[in-house]
Amino acid sequence: MAKRLTVRLDLCIGCRACAAACRSRFKNEARIRYAELNETVDVPMPCRHCADALCAAACPFEVIKRDEQGGVVRQATFHCVGCRSCALACPFGVIDTNLLRDATQKCSLCNDRPEGPRCATTCPTGALQFIEEEKLAEKRSGVGFVVRSLHGRRQ
Amino acid sequence: MANGESPCRAGSRAAMKAVRTTCPFCLNGCESIVTAGYQYRMEYPTDAVVNRGRLCPRGNSASIVVDHPRRLAYPLLDGKEVGWDQAMAYCREALVGSEPSEIAVVYSRGLAHEEIGSVCGFASALGTSNLVCGYVEPDNCFQVRLAGVRAATLDDVRKAKTTLLVGDVFSTSPVAAGPITEARYADRKNRMVVIDSVKTRQAGFAHLFLQVKPGTEVFCLLGIAGSLDRSLGVDVARCAVAAGVEERQLSDVAQMLANGPGFVGSAMHLGRVAHPVQHSLMSQLVATESGATFNGFGEARVPFGKLSFSEFRGRVRAGGVRAVFWFGGLYPYSYPGVMPEAAKVRFSAVSSIFRPDVPLPGLVLPAASELEKESVGESYWGEVGRHPVAEPPSGARPVPAILAELAQARTEEAPSAPTLSEPEAVQVTLATLEGAGPGPAEFTLVGEKRAIGIGGFYESEEQVSVSPADSAQLGLSGTDDLLVESTAGSARFHVKSTAAVPPGVLAVGVNAHRNRALFPLADDPVSGIAMPPAAARVTKVPAAERSPAENIARAE
Repeated sequence: MAKRLTVRLDLCIGCRACAAACRSRFKNEARIRYAELNETVDVPMPCRHCADALCAAACPFEVIKRDEQGGVVRQATFHCVGCRSCALACPFGVIDTNLLRDATQKCSLCNDRPEGPRCATTCPTGALQFIEEEKLAEKRSGVGFVVRSLHGRRQ
Repeated sequence: MANGESPCRAGSRAAMKAVRTTCPFCLNGCESIVTAGYQYRMEYPTDAVVNRGRLCPRGNSASIVVDHPRRLAYPLLDGKEVGWDQAMAYCREALVGSEPSEIAVVYSRGLAHEEIGSVCGFASALGTSNLVCGYVEPDNCFQVRLAGVRAATLDDVRKAKTTLLVGDVFSTSPVAAGPITEARYADRKNRMVVIDSVKTRQAGFAHLFLQVKPGTEVFCLLGIAGSLDRSLGVDVARCAVAAGVEERQLSDVAQMLANGPGFVGSAMHLGRVAHPVQHSLMSQLVATESGATFNGFGEARVPFGKLSFSEFRGRVRAGGVRAVFWFGGLYPYSYPGVMPEAAKVRFSAVSSIFRPDVPLPGLVLPAASELEKESVGESYWGEVGRHPVAEPPSGARPVPAILAELAQARTEEAPSAPTLSEPEAVQVTLATLEGAGPGPAEFTLVGEKRAIGIGGFYESEEQVSVSPADSAQLGLSGTDDLLVESTAGSARFHVKSTAAVPPGVLAVGVNAHRNRALFPLADDPVSGIAMPPAAARVTKVPAAERSPAENIARAE
């Protein structure tokens, strides 16, 4: 069953464990980014794996493709030429333009790991969760949406 | 060297596999699995009781200590690599050339319990009473207990109706923030109160945030305890004035805590806490008075020595100590103010640190890190076991073996921390209140704990947080730098204008040594040395006055 990565802003304490976990896997090149909304609120910015992915549309060599079955937008890094078109096309700015290995960095939802993405597993408060699409519908939220808590948002 | 692989460990990789152990960083006792492969990697066991498969950024980067390219693999004498024979000869010379009373033995964090026992045994075998605890971070003072305080379990934290947090608990132990936020959102009526001088991210979760003047958390806590129990005879109004909060707010917190099962969590940071022992005692006093459970969130608990660190420094300055044997974390290196004193004595240290970028005077011997030895460790929620995930560097020797070579091997109990009664604790804090008063300084410099992870800091340590009001008054723009001068030193910072700090307060990260050097060390009779908020002056450095090279570096 397809799973989605969700962010609950109410629970994020801005510790950046998600970025550290991602860095530890991808040799210091994190695929998850961070936005500071104000002094007390940070938002982790993982790849949304958009239904109509602009990064995939922008890629001149069809390196980034959408896997319709799993709903994941994958990048075949081996064929990437590092033109950064995907990074420019991404409306959320989550693709890293750091060309350390002549390739852009694209989240693959840790497909090498059966338990799910490392960022979601390591999150100290459970703000990042990797849950089934069906449960998503229950929570009335989508990928990358910030769920409004029952008890109100923190300021 | 491919992939930053340490030279001392090449070839031993094939025999390693996944090892389940406990994270060595803070006292939360998070279980993690370290896998050796192309590089050491952390994995997350979801069946772990304490952390449920979660790890903070420091825990995630714990494994980099093991194969760090700058890891110390050979003895260093005055910054140069030497053999073990020469190193041990240096130690023996130091032993022979000094009277027992002129030798000081220091232990610090990074050592297992048994190792601290052998260090204590080594000191008594030498016949010296100069046994010192070198771990002088303020959070070590949570060992000073108040009689009758109830230690919290994880369940107490999760089921608390009211949570009172003093200092930045979420930054000290991010994984412990899981159960705390769980309790905060479990019920609409649950309340969370934060007392701190800086509006941290944690404060964003609070229903009531008391922003006290820097270093005055203890008076705020004393006021709350005084409102809870009038028989303590505390002048609540005076405490409120000293802390810079309203008296009504203190009684509000007292009322919240009296409502139901509560939890008091307390944390301390360098440069933010003026009175560490009182901070610990007052947090516990609020807990005992309101019937709440208590936990002190700290990085480590190392037994207090027979001699306090400030007395030890005094003896070094006076020339009473001629040889120092240091075991564990190297604090002369962490506290720039202590470095000149280390140069005065014959200094021998055994540590699992990286090769220091500043050459340390004396001898530094490599030792196994916490991830490389079998040990039983302490955690907030009980004892934890640590298992070796890798072999120590080939040049390292175990601490007991080194001690046995220098003196006869012996193991002894480390000295224990004092326990105080409630009236004693109140007296100790009231004595501080007498001398409390606002300083004449233009700005107060406070320390902050900033997010750290693999590859360095996520939040720049070269940045100073300034309130928007001060920023406007100084005429600062986003590109200007600020020269911060305190009595201990000066440093230049990029400016971040934020409402998190109140006017008149500057906040800097204290992980970097250059920032720690801004805080003058204060002698504290119990904790050793304290690093309270410092008085500072600032000067604006416009972008035009920076060198072209600096401006290019800044733009990048």
